[in-house]
Amino acid sequence: MGDQPKLSVVVVGGGTAGWMAAAALTTLLPTRCSVTLIESEAIGIVGVGEATLPHIRGFNERLGINEAEFMAATRATFKLGIEFQGWGRIGDSYIHPFGTFGSGQGDIPFHQYWCRLRDQGAQVAPLGEYSMAVAMAYMNRFARPEPDPARIESTFNYAYQFDATLFAPFLRSIAERLGAVRIEGRIVEVQLNGESGDVAALLLEDGRSIGGDLFIDCSGFVSLVIGRALGEPFEDWSHWLPCDRAVAMPCRTETALTPYTSAIAMPAGWRWRIPLQHRTGNGYVYASNFISDDEARSALVGAVEGEGIAEPRVLKFTAGRRTRSWVRNCVAVGLASGFLEPLESTSIYLIQAAISALVELFPDGEISPLDRDEFNRLIDMEYDRIRDFLILHYHATERSDSPFWDYVRTMTVPDTLEEKIELFRRRGRVVKYREGVFLDASWVAVYMGQRIIPEGHDMRADLPPLDALALSADALRAEISAKAARMPDHRSHVEAYCPMAAAA
Amino acid sequence: MSGAGAIARVVVVGGGITAWSAAAALKRRIPILDVQVVSSPPPPDALADRMINTLPSIGDFHSDIGLSDEDTIVRARSGLRIGTTFKAWAENLPDYIHAYGNYGVPVGGVAFHQLWLRDHYPHGRPFDSFAPAPPQVGYGLRLTTELYQQLMRDYSHHLGVVERPGEVVDANLGGADGFVEALLLADGTQIGADLFVDCTGPAALVRSRLGDGFDDWSRLLLCDRVVIEADQPDADPPLLDEVAATSAGWIWRSSSPSVAVKGSVFSSAHGADSDGAIPLRQGRRSEPWVRNCVAIGDAAVTVEPLEWTNLHLAHSQIDRLVSMMPDAGFAPVELAEYNRQCNAEADRVRDFLCMHYVTAQRTEPFWKDASAVEPPSSLAHTLSLFAERGRLPYYEEETFARDSWLAVLLGQGFLPRRIDPLADSVTPQEAERALSSRRQPLAQAQPSYRGTFLQMGQGQQP
Repeated sequence: MGDQPKLSVVVVGGGTAGWMAAAALTTLLPTRCSVTLIESEAIGIVGVGEATLPHIRGFNERLGINEAEFMAATRATFKLGIEFQGWGRIGDSYIHPFGTFGSGQGDIPFHQYWCRLRDQGAQVAPLGEYSMAVAMAYMNRFARPEPDPARIESTFNYAYQFDATLFAPFLRSIAERLGAVRIEGRIVEVQLNGESGDVAALLLEDGRSIGGDLFIDCSGFVSLVIGRALGEPFEDWSHWLPCDRAVAMPCRTETALTPYTSAIAMPAGWRWRIPLQHRTGNGYVYASNFISDDEARSALVGAVEGEGIAEPRVLKFTAGRRTRSWVRNCVAVGLASGFLEPLESTSIYLIQAAISALVELFPDGEISPLDRDEFNRLIDMEYDRIRDFLILHYHATERSDSPFWDYVRTMTVPDTLEEKIELFRRRGRVVKYREGVFLDASWVAVYMGQRIIPEGHDMRADLPPLDALALSADALRAEISAKAARMPDHRSHVEAYCPMAAAA
Repeated sequence: MSGAGAIARVVVVGGGITAWSAAAALKRRIPILDVQVVSSPPPPDALADRMINTLPSIGDFHSDIGLSDEDTIVRARSGLRIGTTFKAWAENLPDYIHAYGNYGVPVGGVAFHQLWLRDHYPHGRPFDSFAPAPPQVGYGLRLTTELYQQLMRDYSHHLGVVERPGEVVDANLGGADGFVEALLLADGTQIGADLFVDCTGPAALVRSRLGDGFDDWSRLLLCDRVVIEADQPDADPPLLDEVAATSAGWIWRSSSPSVAVKGSVFSSAHGADSDGAIPLRQGRRSEPWVRNCVAIGDAAVTVEPLEWTNLHLAHSQIDRLVSMMPDAGFAPVELAEYNRQCNAEADRVRDFLCMHYVTAQRTEPFWKDASAVEPPSSLAHTLSLFAERGRLPYYEEETFARDSWLAVLLGQGFLPRRIDPLADSVTPQEAERALSSRRQPLAQAQPSYRGTFLQMGQGQQP
C-alpha cells in the first residue's frame, strides 16, 4: 500500500467550499492526490456562512491553522450562540447557546430541574440565566473555555463570525503552498466518458481541457457537474422551508460588537445580523410567495442599524438537496449539493462534513460503490437532521400576524419531528442521536425559547428536596452571572488577540 | 397532560436478579414510587438471572443505584473479569482475546487498527497483543448468583420495596383500553398497580397477555440449547474466560474463587441433544412495552450468553425505564420511543453475536450453516464497510465499542481490503513511539485475580 499513483482531483469552483476542499486534501492526503482548482474571477462567490458552528475549530486545527492569524485575516469575532428575536411570539427573545444549561454535571439534564421548580411553584428565572454561554453573550464578554469540567467556565464552546469572502483567499494560500494548482478560467462544457458516463474532462472557454479522476463540484447553486451534467435530481423541501430568497446588505457597526449572531423574525421570514470587526453583515431571508423583492429590500434597509456600505443584493435559492451528493466520480460539496438557509449557521458545517467524509472514504484507484454509498448515507443524515431542526424554528410559533407565519405554524411537518416535539412537550425529553450536529441543549434552547414548554418533568428531578434545589439553582445563576461579569469585554478581547490588518 | 396523573404504584413480577435489580433501581431513583415485588423463583431459562459472567456496565448500574464495590464484590463474593479468550473459532488462527477497552492508541488522528494492519499484519505482533491491560481495562463481575440476588433483594427491602411471595396465574385486563388491572395469584389474591414490570423470563407471564409479537432470530443465531453446570471453583482464577468453539456450538467455563460454572450452547439440529438442556428461542419481543406493562430482561430479549449480554441488556432496559418513566396515561408516543431504543440496542447485540458466527472459520456442517446465514442489513452494512477499508459505522444504542468489534473481526481473520489513506500521514516509527507507553502485552501483564482485586479495592480490602 502507498505506492499507487496519485489520484488527480479537480475542484470545480473556488468559493468557500472549493478552497476548503483544496486545503483539506492537500494537507491531509498529500501522498494520495494532486489537486487542481478551476475558478473564474468573473463569477462571484456567494460567500455564505459568515457565521459558523464550533465544529469549524476542529477543521482549522486539523489543517494546522493558527487561530489568531485566521481571525485577523478574516476580520473575525467570537460567537457564543445565536439570538432569536420574535420567533415564538413578537417580543420574545432567547439565545441558542454553544454550551449547556446548568453545570453540565449530574444525572439528568438541568432543564428537568428547572421544570420541576416551576411545576412546584418555586421562583425560577428564564432558563437562559442558568447558561454560562448565554450570560456571557448578553454581557458582551468573551474568554476561552476552561478545560476542567468541574468548573462552570468549561460549559461553553465557541465559533466565529467572519468574512467568508476573506476565508477563501486565506485557505487558497495554504492550498497553493502545499501544491494545489489554480486555473483561472470559465468552464463551458462538462465532458462525459461515452462508455462509463463518468466525468472525463472540463472544457474551458479558452479551449483548454482539464481531465481528472475525481471531480469535486463546488460550483455553488448552478451545480455545474452533479446537477447539470450528471442530472442528479434535487429534492425540494420548500413546502417545509418556504424561504427562497435573501437580500443582503452590510452596514457599519453602530451598536455593540456582540459575541453572537442574531436572527430576527420578520413578517415573511427572518433577518440576520452578524457583527464582524470591520462591519456588520445583514440580510433578510424571505419567502417570495409572501413578499416581493422590493418590499423585502426596503424592509431590510429600514431595519439595519448603521449606514449601508454596499447596495442590497438579492440571492435566490430552494431549500433541499441532491438525492445523492456523490454520483459516479463527482462529489458535490457545499451549495452544489444542497441548500439549507443559514438560520443555524450550518452552511460551512455541511461543507466540512462532506470534506471529512470524503477524506475518510477517499478512493485509491477505482471508486468503490460501497464508499460512495456510505458517503451519501452520512451526508443525507446530516441534511435531514438539520432540516428537522430548522423546521422546528418556524413551526414552534404562536405568531398569527402574517400569512407567512400562519403557513409555517399550521403546515404538516415530518413525522420524525412531530414525535420529537411531542416527547418534549410532554416531559421535556430530547430524542438523542449519536451523530447529530445539534446536541440536546440546542434542542432544549429552541423548544423552551419558542414556548414548547414541557407539561411535566422527569420523575428523577423530584429526588432533591425542593428548598435545596431552589437554593442551588439560585447559587448557580449567581455564580454564572458573577463569573461572566469578570470576563473581558468581547471587543477588547478581539482587539488584543486578533486585530484585523488595516484595510488594504 | 392527559390528566392521567403520575404513576404511583409499580408491581415488579419475578424473583430473580433482574426483578430485584429493577425494584431496587426504581425505588432508589424514583423514591416517590410505591414498589412491590411479587416474587417467585426465576425459571431455568431466564439467563439474565443465571449467568455468572457480566460486562463492565454492571459497575455503572451499581453506582447509579448507590451500591459500592464493598457491597457488590466483597459482600456478594463476586470475582472480576476483563474479557474472553476465544478458542478455535477460526481454524488455523491462534486464539484471540476480546478484552474491554482500547486496543493500542490512535496516532495523529489515525485509528490504531489501521496502523496495525499496515505495520504488524501479518508478520508482526497479533492484534490482541495490544489489548488493554489493567489498569486501563474495563472490569465485569463474575457473580455468585445466589448471594448477588440476595444482595439485591436485601437492598430493595432496605429501600422500602415490599415483597409479596406468590405465583402469578393470570392477569385481568381492564375494559376497552386493555390495560392490566390486576394480577391474579395462585392463592386467589388480586394485586393491582399503575405499572407492571414483567421480569419472569422468556415466558413473560404478564406481558405476553398483551400480545405476543416476536422478532425471531433463530434464522440468524442457530443455537437453540444451553446447558449450565456447576463446577469446582479455582483458587486463583484467570481474568479471562474461555469460550471454545465445538462442532455444533461452543462451550465455556468461568470461575471466581467462590463459584464456577461450565456450560455449552449448541444447535440441536446439528448434533446430539443433551439431557437437561434448556431450550432457547432467540429473539426479542417486537414491543417490550405495551400499555401499562413492560418486559425486562429475558422477558424482552432472549439471546445466547455469548459475550455475556443478558444481564447487561436487563440493566440497560431498567435504566431506560427509570429515565423515561411516563405518566399513568402511558402515551403511545413515549412508549414508542422506549421501544425504539430498546429494540435498536437488542438488534445491535444480535448483530455483534451474529458477526462471531458469520466470520468464524470452521468446516463442520453447523459452522458452514452458521456462517452462511444472510446477515441483517445493519450487520451486512457493518461488515461490508469494514471489509472495504476497516471502517466501522456508528449505530444508535450500540453496546459494544468499536474496539470490541475489532478484537473479534481481526481475531477471526476478517480483514479489510485496504487501509485508511490518512494512515499515510503517520510513519511506522511514529506509530511505534506512540505505542511504547503500552508495550505490556496483556498476557504478560495479567495480574492474578487477587492482585487486581486488592488494587481495585484501594484500602477497602476484604
